Amino acid sequence: MNTLNSSSAPAAGEYAGDEVAAIVLDPGYSSIRAGFAGEDVPKSVCPSFYGHIDSDSGSQYLYGENAIHTPASNLQIKNYWGSDGIVEDWDTAAKVWEYAITSRLTGARAGDPAKNGLNDGTKENGNGDAMEVDMETIENQEKPLEESPLLMTEPGWNPTKAREKAIEIAMEEWGTPAFYLQKTGVLAAFASGKASGIIIDVGASHTSVTPVLDGMVLKKGVQKSPLAGNFVSNQIRLGFKQSQPEIPLTPHYLVKSKTPVDAGMPAQAVYKTFDIPPTDSFRHYQEERVLTEYKESVVEIWPGPGRLSNGTNEEIAKNTPGRPFEMPDGWNQVFGVDRFRAAEGLFDANAALTDDANPRPKDEHTLPRLVQAAVQQVDADQRPLLLQNIVVTGGSTLLYKLGDRLNYEINALYPSTRNKLIAPGPVVERKYAAWIGGSILASLGSFHQLWISRKEYEEHGANIVEKRCR
Amino acid sequence: MASGRDVRDMLGLPMGGDGQKSAVQKRAKAAAPVRRIQGVAREVAALYGERPPPVAVYEEKKAYRAKRQNQGPAKKWVQQPFVNEARGDGLVLKHWRRKPTTAPPVQDGEDTLMKDGESAEPHVEKSTDFLKYSIQVDLPTFTDEEYDAYLRSDDWSREETDYLFEVVKDYSYRWAVIWDRYDYQPGSRSHLTQETDNADAGRAMAALPFAPTKQRTVEDLKARFYHISAKLMKLRIPEMQMDAEQYTLYETLSKFNPELEGNRKLLAAALMNRSMDEVKEEEFLLAELQRINMAANRLDAEREELRARLEHPSANQQVSAGLASFTSSQALQALFSQLFAQDRSKKRASGGGTGPSRISLNTNDLIQTPSSANAQLSAAARRQSMATNQSAQTPMRTLSPQQEHRYNVSTHDRLTSGVTFGSDKLLKMRQAKSNVQTQKIAAALAELGVSEVIPLPTSKVADVFEQLIGKVGKLLDVRKVREKEEGESRVLAQMKERRGSSGALGGESGGTSVEPQGKHEIPDSAEQTPGLDGEGDEDNDNDEDGDGDGDGDAEGEEDDEDAEGEEDSRVPSETVSRAASTAHKRSASVLSQGSVQSSKRARK
Repeated sequence: MNTLNSSSAPAAGEYAGDEVAAIVLDPGYSSIRAGFAGEDVPKSVCPSFYGHIDSDSGSQYLYGENAIHTPASNLQIKNYWGSDGIVEDWDTAAKVWEYAITSRLTGARAGDPAKNGLNDGTKENGNGDAMEVDMETIENQEKPLEESPLLMTEPGWNPTKAREKAIEIAMEEWGTPAFYLQKTGVLAAFASGKASGIIIDVGASHTSVTPVLDGMVLKKGVQKSPLAGNFVSNQIRLGFKQSQPEIPLTPHYLVKSKTPVDAGMPAQAVYKTFDIPPTDSFRHYQEERVLTEYKESVVEIWPGPGRLSNGTNEEIAKNTPGRPFEMPDGWNQVFGVDRFRAAEGLFDANAALTDDANPRPKDEHTLPRLVQAAVQQVDADQRPLLLQNIVVTGGSTLLYKLGDRLNYEINALYPSTRNKLIAPGPVVERKYAAWIGGSILASLGSFHQLWISRKEYEEHGANIVEKRCR
Repeated sequence: MASGRDVRDMLGLPMGGDGQKSAVQKRAKAAAPVRRIQGVAREVAALYGERPPPVAVYEEKKAYRAKRQNQGPAKKWVQQPFVNEARGDGLVLKHWRRKPTTAPPVQDGEDTLMKDGESAEPHVEKSTDFLKYSIQVDLPTFTDEEYDAYLRSDDWSREETDYLFEVVKDYSYRWAVIWDRYDYQPGSRSHLTQETDNADAGRAMAALPFAPTKQRTVEDLKARFYHISAKLMKLRIPEMQMDAEQYTLYETLSKFNPELEGNRKLLAAALMNRSMDEVKEEEFLLAELQRINMAANRLDAEREELRARLEHPSANQQVSAGLASFTSSQALQALFSQLFAQDRSKKRASGGGTGPSRISLNTNDLIQTPSSANAQLSAAARRQSMATNQSAQTPMRTLSPQQEHRYNVSTHDRLTSGVTFGSDKLLKMRQAKSNVQTQKIAAALAELGVSEVIPLPTSKVADVFEQLIGKVGKLLDVRKVREKEEGESRVLAQMKERRGSSGALGGESGGTSVEPQGKHEIPDSAEQTPGLDGEGDEDNDNDEDGDGDGDGDAEGEEDDEDAEGEEDSRVPSETVSRAASTAHKRSASVLSQGSVQSSKRARK
């Protein structure tokens, strides 16, 4: 009996791996992650935004990174997610998801020789009756997930209806032989090798705090708030607007060429012109990309101790060297203390910038309060255990020094317990933790018995997902 | 078979050396490649020296490029359909497996069977690897009658109880999860509940919704479940027939106290929700407490030590067990320390210790201490008893002097250890510090007619001999002093003679004045400074012997004997007649010595 150590790979029987080419689908507000179970990164990462061109000849939908960033007239950029963190537009969601799966993973299925157009010349001579008979089997074969079981993720607050809808899509539209639905919180914990813990997931549209015990979400403790990546983006926009002079935000697609200018000087760029300019939503989405860059390279979170507004903290922040940033049109500036203000709202509702469209966020939506509320809903005996395994995940947790601040805030909340923050270093692991957890789970041999098979679905209906996936 | 050795032998060449050297060289050559490190430049390897490098050097080739095991074509893999036995519905999934090698046409039944399967439809493997992970929880079950008879509760409806059992089963006794998911809504909530299926909901509908939805705590749920479990357990197995394990389980189940548990959790929560200040204060207080405790411990230890010094050792608790109780090293250690303390206290009580201190154990102690009677005796009493013991051992018997003489009994203040011969004692007395003195004594004794070996060296003879030797010693001393005085007087006389050329008056007076002085001095020097005289003697004698002793011991001894002979003849003549016939021979030395001695004395 050799003991487990990190340097040697476990034997096949030891980690109970038994891959069945399952597909893991982890849809999020900003991107959809899909890939085969057992791999360490999702092969297919697609934006959740899709393009919609509503012209006289009919609606046209555009999916995928390549399509939606090309400026086109009347192109609207939409997202199928609702404002409450639950899928709103199921029809489009299914299509975007299918695109994410088929574009990179399964590929377009070889169509039936009768329909794929290669045999068009001979089609007229064929026997029509025989074609009719085969129609049903042909349709089944065309379903994209015929051969792969599907593991899907869902947010912790997903209502029953949404869950039933998910299994319906997977079974009816995609024809998957087996299906399972698991909460992102649990999977993120699995990705860090934990079965229990508190998962802090700061995504694009929502921040969620999920207590997980023995691989099961404690539903009463699940907390969500809209203070996440998009909130930070809005804060940056507000900051740009409120600064004197106003900082221009020009997306890439508008800029034809640019010339370098001094810091703070107006941009000298040649702009593109469009006959029929793309819609506001397209521009907003493109601006969002610039803001993402800004968030990645400039925005910093006051690491503590105390809030940014406390005492002399702001003075100290002012004295730290600034960070330069250049807009697509060449305008550039060194950002000083402003870069701390953009994300301070995540921790301190009072510090958030406000205007008419962006009201002051609620206090209970700040990260420390979410954690507190989540812990409060857990049995007193389990709290120390959970606080020892605080998993930090989600793309927005990559904000510089967010981990430090979180650590400080949690230690201030619970000074008498041993609080440990588990924040994986690699960007991929942080952004796609839920997918990686799903990849681990679906490749386990011991997971085979948990799949909801097609047979079971047909027997019990969509409600089976409530009984089986808890 | 002529080896190089034989050839060398024939040619008369040297044999061993060359052969060995070549063998050594060969061996060294053979050993070197083993030690050489692969994959490192020779120059670098040389830097390592003789010792192995501190960091293991891996041979890259071996570590990372394993030889391909087989050179044949790549093995084929197939997507093997399989059924997981842990599932009930026969879901067929596919995983990648090595394609089974095609067997020769006719082998045995299994192969043909497989072939059949392949030809008809793909063989579906049955996977039982993960069957062990399909675990169902054990749950107590009860019938309707049992429920009605024993398990009714005012607080819990039958439906809710069933629901509770269902949830416990679903979540495998994870009470925190059970409480989290526990969502019982009596009656109308059928289609809203997520935990029960339609059939269950229908049954719930039928039941009268008599209780509003209650917020149950974990403790409530546990209490109900444990209560039912305990009762059912008792029903199935009467208390008397339970084995130990079952009974402890029964005890824990029946003794569950929800209030206590609830309070405990409240406390735990309160402990967790303390503010930073409170935690810091507590830490400070804890540190303080630890400090105080340590101080108290130290004080206690000091007091304990003091007490141990003051009090006599306490009675051994394991007395009744006798010697058997001293089997463990700890017990022996305790015993030893006890005895040691006892000993010390005894010594102190007797005031500085008249007897020799006793640290080591003896059998007497071992026997005495375990017995309770002795342990309680005071130290004084024990000492007394020991004293009486001694007197009893050596009964005194007085002998008359005649008898003492007859039996040769003697009493001594102190006896030297060991056994000695009486003759040894006599021999010892003959010997003086210096050789010359010894010779002189021997000469004196010979002159007196005492033979060298005394035939019957009894203690009396020894006594007499001792007296005799003492007298001889005195005599020798006196003679020495006299010689010295004579020498001085002679010197003075010569000086006087020299001065006598001017006037011979003082010569007579000087001589006479010296003479009585010398006489006076004799007893003085003998009594007061025998050591000094001895030294003087030695010096003289050495000078005298100097001419004879130079060559060696043997010769020296012979010379000594000769000298003895001379002296033997000389001594009486000197003592009797003051004519110093032989003194001329050494007049010079005596002169110089005498002068030196006198000058020394003068200096003193």
